[in-house]
Amino acid sequence: MKIVVCVKAVPDPKEADKIKIDPETKTLMRGDVPFATNPLDKHAVEAALQLKRTLGGFVTILSMGPPAAANVVKECLALGADRGILLSDRAFAGADAFATAYTLAKGIEKIGRFDLVLCGMASSDGATEWVGPQIATFLNIPVVTMVNEIHHESGDEWQVKTAWEDGYRRVAVQLPALLTVARELNEPKNLSFSGIIKARKKEITAWSLAELDVAPDSVGFEGSPTVVGDFGTLQTARNVEFLEGTAEEKAKLLVDILTESGAIG
Amino acid sequence: MEKNMRSGAVWVVAELRGVQPHAVSLQLVGKARSLADQLGAKVEVILLGEDFAESAEILIASGADTVYVGRSKELAVYQSDIYAEIIVGLAQQKRPEILLLGSTFMGRELAPIVAARLQTGLTAHCIDLVLDESQILDQKIPAYGGLISIRCPEKKPQMATVAGGVFPTPELDASRSGNQVQIEIPEKIHNRARVIEMVKEKNEEQSLEDAQFIVAGGIGNGSLDGWKNLQELAHSLNAALGCTRPVVDEGWADLETMIGQSGKMVSPQFYLGVGLSGELQHMVGVKGAQIMMAVNNDRKSPVFEQVDYGVVEDCNTFIPLLIEKLNEAK
Amino acid sequence: MIDFTFTEEQEMFRKAAREFAETEVAKYVPEMEETSKVPEGLLKALGEAEMLAITIPELYGGLELGYTARLIALEEIARVSVATAMMLQVFALGIEPIVKFGTDEQKQKYLPGLASGKLLATAAVTEATGGSDPSGIRTSYRKEGDDYIVNGRKCFITNAHIASTLTILAKNEENPKEFCAFIVEQGMQGFKATHEEHKVGFRGCNTGELAFENLRIPKENLLGQEGKGMRVTMSAIGDVGRGGMVGCALGLQTACLEASIKFANERILYGKPIAKLPAIQDKIAEMKIDLEAGRLLGYRAASLQDSGTGASNEFAVAKYFTTEAAMKAAKIAVDVHGGYGCMEEYAVTRYYRDAAVLGPSAGTSAIMKVIVARWTLA
Repeated sequence: MKIVVCVKAVPDPKEADKIKIDPETKTLMRGDVPFATNPLDKHAVEAALQLKRTLGGFVTILSMGPPAAANVVKECLALGADRGILLSDRAFAGADAFATAYTLAKGIEKIGRFDLVLCGMASSDGATEWVGPQIATFLNIPVVTMVNEIHHESGDEWQVKTAWEDGYRRVAVQLPALLTVARELNEPKNLSFSGIIKARKKEITAWSLAELDVAPDSVGFEGSPTVVGDFGTLQTARNVEFLEGTAEEKAKLLVDILTESGAIG
Repeated sequence: MEKNMRSGAVWVVAELRGVQPHAVSLQLVGKARSLADQLGAKVEVILLGEDFAESAEILIASGADTVYVGRSKELAVYQSDIYAEIIVGLAQQKRPEILLLGSTFMGRELAPIVAARLQTGLTAHCIDLVLDESQILDQKIPAYGGLISIRCPEKKPQMATVAGGVFPTPELDASRSGNQVQIEIPEKIHNRARVIEMVKEKNEEQSLEDAQFIVAGGIGNGSLDGWKNLQELAHSLNAALGCTRPVVDEGWADLETMIGQSGKMVSPQFYLGVGLSGELQHMVGVKGAQIMMAVNNDRKSPVFEQVDYGVVEDCNTFIPLLIEKLNEAK
Repeated sequence: MIDFTFTEEQEMFRKAAREFAETEVAKYVPEMEETSKVPEGLLKALGEAEMLAITIPELYGGLELGYTARLIALEEIARVSVATAMMLQVFALGIEPIVKFGTDEQKQKYLPGLASGKLLATAAVTEATGGSDPSGIRTSYRKEGDDYIVNGRKCFITNAHIASTLTILAKNEENPKEFCAFIVEQGMQGFKATHEEHKVGFRGCNTGELAFENLRIPKENLLGQEGKGMRVTMSAIGDVGRGGMVGCALGLQTACLEASIKFANERILYGKPIAKLPAIQDKIAEMKIDLEAGRLLGYRAASLQDSGTGASNEFAVAKYFTTEAAMKAAKIAVDVHGGYGCMEEYAVTRYYRDAAVLGPSAGTSAIMKVIVARWTLA
């Protein structure tokens, strides 16, 4: 089995609230919050490693990010993946979900034949949940999101389960495919000392724009259909509207509000 | 061939809940109506399914000018390859200006597929949509303690997903007229991700972190009996039940269900605090809720500075009433 | 040019150790505090996470990562549970003499099991008549044919009841200037772990007494040369024992500082967090300065040890400094917490009690100064 896991280096979620946007320049002030593996991607890596243990194969970690993101890829190798590829180039910077997905898809194409692509269903710092489905679309493979169970007994068509509104869905998906994974899929293992030692021998390759064979205006800021506009302040205090009337009337009003907002029924 | 003519329409991909339009779809149609009026454009809705009673009529009464109806057994449940193929085909044909979907399970999977195939931009979980001076949509999302505007100035359609409850549900106007257009469903769509089953389940114990609706109770509930009312309320609302520290100390609930700085951090869409004072240690654990509500018998309680709707009542009397009204509504 | 940065790999070891401590060790702390017993699950987790293998050669199933990696692991574990870090550091203390002075047969027999956690180690020198003065011990041996017969009692021995492999020091019955180190195995006739101590801190780390009554030790279990036992045990205590205490102390200092920062940022008095008050800032600064200094002393000694030079003097400096600093930090942390600093629900009360046990372990502060003076005046 050839599996590619797309991993994102994100600001460490434990320190993420130190990151602010400079209201003047509208750029992100990352401070020195270190990179960490996007938490949901850890579940994707664990899923790949479990499949490798059962079915045999090769797991490639693919990530798009600045050079500092290499330590996230290294960590995934220390967890048991076989090879790491970092797509890194100034030209990739400023990418929105579309351009990111496109670049990653091109990276996967360059990697060559694959059976499965795995991603965490969302990133802790963007949480659009779109990069996975868009990578799949660019690769012209099917995608199933929010997977929390994988059954791979039946050849080229796997059965997966995902959460769904008020319950769940089961989907039969044809390989090669892309799955985005949910927290419930597995329990990622911790880094181990011996895994870190074994990672010394594993390769991380960096690919720049040149290696990818794409037009510069199809990636990064140039290739992003969306742009960031103004930055404004968010009201945190809320203006309360007191419901009036008898207790019974207020109860009825509250039920109406809940129904209207889609909180119930 | 209308190759270079933009219809300029504002589109909504509607979703069904049972045989009715999903609340978020109606809200999006309402918003689409207001955007379209500003643009001098039409509101068009795509409705796919097998069985949807009067849904098309309701969508029209909510503000749609046209509803593209796709009715077939193959469309009974959402399947990505099939729905995407139809929507993309229509969009390529009709060239809408804006395309909106709800941030539902379906929307979150389908929208990016459609956007990638249409080679256009997409913004997730918008909390507001405003047209700027150049008639481009300002799609607002919360980030890094503030509000960011995302724009898709060149590619069309400008796509966005919006969660339920962000926009109000429009009033139905039965006098509105609109037309229904039957969609021609392509013969053989290669369905590589085939839904085997969609199952509705009664939620036993929702985890607080995943819950969309959280009821949180404080010491104001008075006693274990009072707490039991809350359990019933949470059950009626299909909500998860969390608590504050004093409740844990009283032994009414487990430490695992405590929400706050030294407990769980949650981000539900809807939050209802009952019998708690809105202390910082607890409130700091609730992030980004669409709608916050509270019940407390003291009008001056600090909790009311942090919620959208307040009910000043004793929770032991109010909660049973609320449960009653909820059961009536079902 | 001195490079004071950790390598990328060392940062990964730290991350792995921190993750392990937070996900696998933290959950045992309440149980350890309440029962003072060593949880089975914790021992298993330590073995599985390869924490016991760090200083054991690869040849015998270890990771052979050296003393800097060991210090990193101890520091991270101590930050969550000093009791666990102490237990772990003493495993290494019992392992070191075998690695340094063991015959091939002895290494083959014990090290693989010690690396996996199947066997647990300790070193036993201290007695009622001598801890600071090891030459004052009374446990003695006499030869009988090829065997040695040992009689005596040891006290304040960490891991006394859980150790399966114990390196002990005994003096020659006939010549009090001659010492032997022996490997004693749990189950040997005449050896028993007896009284278990109830300590004010380090709860869940087992400390107790050992009794040897006509314990017959075969010659295969003599460790190092006959008569040279003092050297065998003291060399381990000098580097590994003191180094282990540095890890425990640094972790505790970090925990005290983090708890103080968190509390100071959350506690509102006079309309703002107390972190804004100069009096609190002064205390925070002191803890930070001590931590920076302690880490430099500790990691420098560890790096000397890794380079093959002994570092027992440098470790004496570091051990003295960090354990004293940890006591200070614990007191400061309790002060910052005000009244809450006396409530057991707040971890700083545990830090305060744990800090008290750091000093006398692996050589008291007074002894550290004796060693440093000797070194300086030599």
